[in-house]
Amino acid sequence: MTTTRQILHVDMDAFYASVEQRDRPELRGQPLVVGGDGSRGVVAAASYEVRRYGVRSAMPMREARRRCPQLVCVQPRMAHYQAVSEQVFEIFHEFTPTVEGLSLDEAFLDVSASLNLFGSAEAIALSVKDRVRERTRLSASVGVAPNKLVAKIASDLDKPDGLVVIRPEDLPGALDELPVQVIPGIGKVTLARLHEHGIRRVVDLRLAADGTLEAIFGRFATRARERAGGVDDRPVVPDRADKSISAEETFAVDLADGAELQRKLLQLVERTTRRLRDRSLMAGTVQVKIRTADFTTFTRQKTMHPPAAGTDQVYAAARQLLGDWLAGHPGAKLRLLGVGGSELAPATQADLFGQDDPRGNDKLDRAADQVRARFGAASLTRARSLDPERTG
Amino acid sequence: MKFSAGREALLKPLQAVIGVVERRQTMPILANVLLVARGDQLAITATDLEVELVASAEVSVEAGGEVTVPGRKLLDICRALPDGAEVAIAQSGDKVSIKSGRSKFTLATLPAAEFPTVEDINAGQRIELPQGSLARLIEKTHFSMAQQDVRYYLNGLLIETASKHIRAVATDGHRLALCQVELDGGKMPEKQVIVPRKGVLELQRLMSGEGKLGLELGSNHIRIQLEGIRFTSKLIDGRFPEYERVIPKDTANELTADRQVLRGALQRTAILSNEKYRGIRLVLRSGSMLLQAHNPEQEEAEEEVEIQYEGSDIEIGFNVNYLLDALGAIESDEVTLSVVDANSSCVLREPGNDNGKYVVMPMRL
Repeated sequence: MTTTRQILHVDMDAFYASVEQRDRPELRGQPLVVGGDGSRGVVAAASYEVRRYGVRSAMPMREARRRCPQLVCVQPRMAHYQAVSEQVFEIFHEFTPTVEGLSLDEAFLDVSASLNLFGSAEAIALSVKDRVRERTRLSASVGVAPNKLVAKIASDLDKPDGLVVIRPEDLPGALDELPVQVIPGIGKVTLARLHEHGIRRVVDLRLAADGTLEAIFGRFATRARERAGGVDDRPVVPDRADKSISAEETFAVDLADGAELQRKLLQLVERTTRRLRDRSLMAGTVQVKIRTADFTTFTRQKTMHPPAAGTDQVYAAARQLLGDWLAGHPGAKLRLLGVGGSELAPATQADLFGQDDPRGNDKLDRAADQVRARFGAASLTRARSLDPERTG
Repeated sequence: MKFSAGREALLKPLQAVIGVVERRQTMPILANVLLVARGDQLAITATDLEVELVASAEVSVEAGGEVTVPGRKLLDICRALPDGAEVAIAQSGDKVSIKSGRSKFTLATLPAAEFPTVEDINAGQRIELPQGSLARLIEKTHFSMAQQDVRYYLNGLLIETASKHIRAVATDGHRLALCQVELDGGKMPEKQVIVPRKGVLELQRLMSGEGKLGLELGSNHIRIQLEGIRFTSKLIDGRFPEYERVIPKDTANELTADRQVLRGALQRTAILSNEKYRGIRLVLRSGSMLLQAHNPEQEEAEEEVEIQYEGSDIEIGFNVNYLLDALGAIESDEVTLSVVDANSSCVLREPGNDNGKYVVMPMRL
């Protein structure tokens, strides 16, 4: 990149929790978390009131309750958050078409080409925050920087309702005093190794000896040093299509191999393939995610020839993957099972044999999808996915 | 069992069969080859339970017998011995010794009785045909076979015999290749079998294209006797789609083009097509074809090719690889492409020749 870019990272503050507090005044000021409340529940979002107790998103609900016994937990309303998110993204698009959503509540905006129209990047950031507040009564934190890496770090520096600008002339030293784990890609293991070498702040990483970095990062050593200096050439990819589509379920009771597990697998396949078909996509790869009772996670995947979105096709692949894994882990108890599709391709290649369409039992799947769209996801399921004990 | 032979006499049959010796063994004995010494012949058998290969070698047998030994190790030993070396192989107890010059090796064995072999395949009739004919059928169609498709019956090659011809058809559901060769000689039975992909590729590797071969079609197996080697494969138990139905008969919009010119233009345009979906747009006008491709980086390629065409104006998208595969299999200087409309299959072939047909379904671009 020869010209300097202006990138915004906009991150909604405690998004799900803030939406709930906005809609239900009795929750305001309360130590609120959004998430499943069962013994297996996980915190999906934590309000700022509850964060004081050390409660964070992705924490098991049991742990959250231990840290803050008086916490208030509400069930997530994903469809509602989705609708609010669409409002927010509409605002982003008023400033630039180059919006790359990372999740419902987070996006990169490349406003380099919008400066003549709306003034400085900082002015655009303020306008974004104002419009979000006016139209949704929610607050957002924004980082402004010459690239995605630094913008994302910046948005997190002054939460909630923050605005942090890092200018090109502030680099490479702008991140120096931050803890080294703000650099993406530094996980627990790498962090421990960095600490062994006395690398705690970003500046330590930026100025570390070549040999040290190579020992820790291998062939990514140069990349790591560049990141510490705030160098990142990745473009903002507008409205990126879905990279993968998946569904997973944490079981109330750990499941071993058997009919119940097969039913769960089919249900997850149905959820995944329905979403694929809704988007006119086919999966080139099918994954099965398995988490055992001791929290070890496995993923197994299979390439689909041709790509598929039919319930039967994906189920056949998923069943084989799960079966192979179970054969190698006899007696294993599963805590979580997930099914996903990736290497997504638009369903554009026409098929020679209509009734053998790789998109599956097309007519049946489509008709079933329509019934579900009208009467809800549970209105129609395959008999195989039902529990005979409960329906008998 | 005890026999001796020159290194090369053993190496050639071992190399011929090694392709089906399992690397990832589900049964330990499948990593072994079966050695049967009888008369002045040694038969070496390898199998992966789907494809069985039996190769024979001229050896001098001192004591007949049969045993199985690790296939890859035996091959590696023979390969590593010096050219022209004389090799003596003898069984003693549950070991087999290999001696050559000052080298001596002792291999573990497993009982021959436990080695799975296919004996009689219950074929009604044995057909003799030139090896070149079968080699041609496979060469012209194999690239259209499906790979690991859930429609398991597509993961192979359809071999169809009729009274005067033999035909091969392969399809992955997006495109289809058909090739047939006329046969003179005796009347053949009418049969349809699906040979699994792995067997087809193994067979292709074994055929030299010279001489004759004997073909037998059983209810569950196909067996082909080549010189010095016998190939047997299980068949795919399934119904191949009614492929005749998807070959378009309508030739109203038929164009003729120079095959190499069209191929070159497609190859160049393909460079800037989407790497994954390989979509390319053809715009057909009277006398010319425009080829267009673009990729997610917004780069574009465009090329014009002169064609003989008087049909309707049509714009149609294809996976360019399918067109290139077909053009690579056709041998004539000119090629015809028949199109119905943007949503229907098209067919490529040599002008005036119905023995090879390549059907491709379009892409919606």
